[in-house]
Amino acid sequence: MALMAPVVHYPLHQATLDNGLRVIVNPDPSVPVVAVNLWYDVGSRDERPGRTGLAHLFEHLMFEGSANVTSGEHLATVQSVGGSANATTWFDRTNYFETVPTCALDLALWLEADRLASLQVTQHNLDNQRDVVMEEKRQRYDNVPYGDVMLHLVQLTFPADHPYGHPTIGSMDDLAAATLDDAKAFFATHYAPSNAVLTLVGDIDPTDGIARANSFFGGLAASTRPVREVTAPLPPLTGVPRREVTATVPADAAYLSWRLPASDTPAFDALELALAALGDGQTSRLHRRLVRNDQIAEGAGASTTGLIGGTSLGFASARALPGVAGAQLEDAIVDEFERFIADGPTTAEVDRVKAQYEREWLGELARFDNRADLFSSYATLQGDPEAVNRRLDEIRAVTIDDVAAAASDWLATDQRAVVTYHRERA
Amino acid sequence: MNRPAITPPQPWTFPTPTTTHFDNGMTVLKFDRPGQHLIDATLVLDLPLHTERASIEGVSAILQRCLDEGTRSHPRTDFAEQLENRGAVLNGGVSHSATHVSLEVPTTRFAEALPLFAEAVLEPTLEAADVRRHVELRLAEIGQHRAHPTHRGAEAFRAAVIDDDFRAARSSGGTAASVRRISTDDVHAHYAAHYGPERATLVLAGDFTDDPLPVVRDAFEGWSRTVTTLSSERPLAAPPQVLLIDRPAAVQADVRLGGFGIDRTDPRWPALRLGAFVLGGGFLSRLNRVLREERGYTYGVQLSNTPARHGGLLAMHASFRTEVAAAAIAEARELIRVDGDGALTEAELTDARNFLVGIMPLRCATAAGVADQAAALIDVGLDTGFVNRHAAALELVTPEQATAAIAELLQPDRLSLVVVGDAAVLADQLAAQGLDATVISDPSV
Repeated sequence: MALMAPVVHYPLHQATLDNGLRVIVNPDPSVPVVAVNLWYDVGSRDERPGRTGLAHLFEHLMFEGSANVTSGEHLATVQSVGGSANATTWFDRTNYFETVPTCALDLALWLEADRLASLQVTQHNLDNQRDVVMEEKRQRYDNVPYGDVMLHLVQLTFPADHPYGHPTIGSMDDLAAATLDDAKAFFATHYAPSNAVLTLVGDIDPTDGIARANSFFGGLAASTRPVREVTAPLPPLTGVPRREVTATVPADAAYLSWRLPASDTPAFDALELALAALGDGQTSRLHRRLVRNDQIAEGAGASTTGLIGGTSLGFASARALPGVAGAQLEDAIVDEFERFIADGPTTAEVDRVKAQYEREWLGELARFDNRADLFSSYATLQGDPEAVNRRLDEIRAVTIDDVAAAASDWLATDQRAVVTYHRERA
Repeated sequence: MNRPAITPPQPWTFPTPTTTHFDNGMTVLKFDRPGQHLIDATLVLDLPLHTERASIEGVSAILQRCLDEGTRSHPRTDFAEQLENRGAVLNGGVSHSATHVSLEVPTTRFAEALPLFAEAVLEPTLEAADVRRHVELRLAEIGQHRAHPTHRGAEAFRAAVIDDDFRAARSSGGTAASVRRISTDDVHAHYAAHYGPERATLVLAGDFTDDPLPVVRDAFEGWSRTVTTLSSERPLAAPPQVLLIDRPAAVQADVRLGGFGIDRTDPRWPALRLGAFVLGGGFLSRLNRVLREERGYTYGVQLSNTPARHGGLLAMHASFRTEVAAAAIAEARELIRVDGDGALTEAELTDARNFLVGIMPLRCATAAGVADQAAALIDVGLDTGFVNRHAAALELVTPEQATAAIAELLQPDRLSLVVVGDAAVLADQLAAQGLDATVISDPSV
């Protein structure tokens, strides 16, 4: 079937300030709003042993005041001008963002520059935000069924001392042990103009946008960019590491993971398509098999989590219908992966997952804030934000043979790790 | 460098759609969003859930979930394949007043995908095997929701604050007892009784360099089923209660404190929205400033309005660690008081108004954003001009009006409290605060 392909090209303007801050502007006057997005090249992979969770805890502290901004005022100020702001921390990065009416662009830049220039961390703020982060951990991980699954999968998939060997939220013990000196040292090491990318998307002229970035950030001192040791790619897993979790969950579940190549490799693109064919959407193999035909799962899927430091993650999972055991889910998933590797994908499958990728990618780019985040991401992790504009062509260029070969190399079922949840009966 | 001054934002208004009425009674609203690469088409079908027979509540949701499981023109999985081949996706859901079905597709493939979308609505096969499977999946979902503190709390709160004579007191997807009884015949009968063009509004949003109307007309004009007209229920509030749903050994308590409030048509609505934002909307709201930023009791606390067609839910919601939950609840009850020195101030209202009005261009920047906003209003029987009328009304609210709205609708001694957490610890804690909770235990949590 010949389908007309969407063509997307967002104009980009780039500059690097004298202090090393990279600035990217994508003008789009369709709405009187500008998205400000700042990526710092620091994530939980940069934490040292005994201080897991520090990158994320530190992200909270960035909202607790600076020379000209009081505690909490950053977020409240952005909201009071009709904008939104937040931040997130992940294995590979920490991002901060504001989306504001055009008239408040200078304010957003000033708020970001003020905390980079003069963050004021106090023991009181640290203690308070440590409590808040512990509540975040309880709410999102400890108090919900299957909430600890990422912890288990990460521990099974990576060695404990690997940069990706612990989840971003960290451990309660490490959070409790974090000191004011840790926070100050973390700031001094990682928060510098040369370790950041600033992206503006929206109702702004490119020359003006770069000039404004320079007027607020240009005066900040340059400092040495921290050097990160290169992490060699890990080989696939061996021996099927496994964890059986008995918990008060409503139904059994099976979660499988694989080590995949880094997110900037052609093989990773092929694996994104392979795992989509296996587990994304109603027509995917896992849904057809486990949900529709065998009727053993209430849901089944597969996906990737792209990481830049040598090794990414691939997942497959299913949650059981009442009375079905986790092992039965695992067997069915393994069976479908083996069939996929033995027979390869069909042309129709590959075309379909490419078409679905296109829609999802266009959806990501539609919102200014998400689009800005993608430009910052590609600039930080892959060195070139224009890669966003090439992305659909790259995905279209992946062949059925690429998908088959990547699946065979990386998704073999003896290269999996498994977490199985067993329902604890009261 | 000094803090930059802010100039007033450019005036912004929610776009006015082009409205077309087809001869069969269906209404089409078209919002042109130049530059968007995706088109969103959302069909809102007026279908209040009190039309469901009590014994088979949830039938609307099962019907909606079966729509994309095959059509007469593309039976079984052929339908999903045709749709996904075009990079399209169908989503849907039911509220207490309407069923929503939406299509999202790249602009270049809209003309191919829209007829498929129409098939799902006009000629679904609703086969017995699919109905049975979706009943089982819904039952499993109910089990998952009962075990999840947030879902469990939300459902229990709804049931606590709305008189149970009304459908609105129960989940839109039905209960385990009612869903289990839903048959294929029930689904077909519900479809025949309620799916018709006179009840349907189609919202289109996207870059329409090519006029979409001919494609939509071709796909939907032949739809001719006549369905009965409806009235919607007007739920009443239940008396206040204090419920503690036991979740043994839970490390946090999921807390809701509030009641059954008002909807967008109430004259107090603009005042309530502003007042609720001051108390629990912004990051430095009265509740979040103290309970998160000073005490560290929670990751975040909100006071939120969820308006329905008639009435709405008004609730403070947060998860507090178990040890401090009762203290947090006691403090929250004080923080939402607006009597005496607690009256809302002009400065607070200005910030709230700036946020609620100023955030709209951002929320409506994409095709999906515009379609979602329009569909939410059509769902409750309002026209899309409401957005601009409401923004103008927010400008006129005085601190006295906002204070009065909160005082009337959040009277501390008239609120229900629903806590999902470890009863072994919390019951005594709550009792010490003078809160005599009814403890609910069941094996599924």
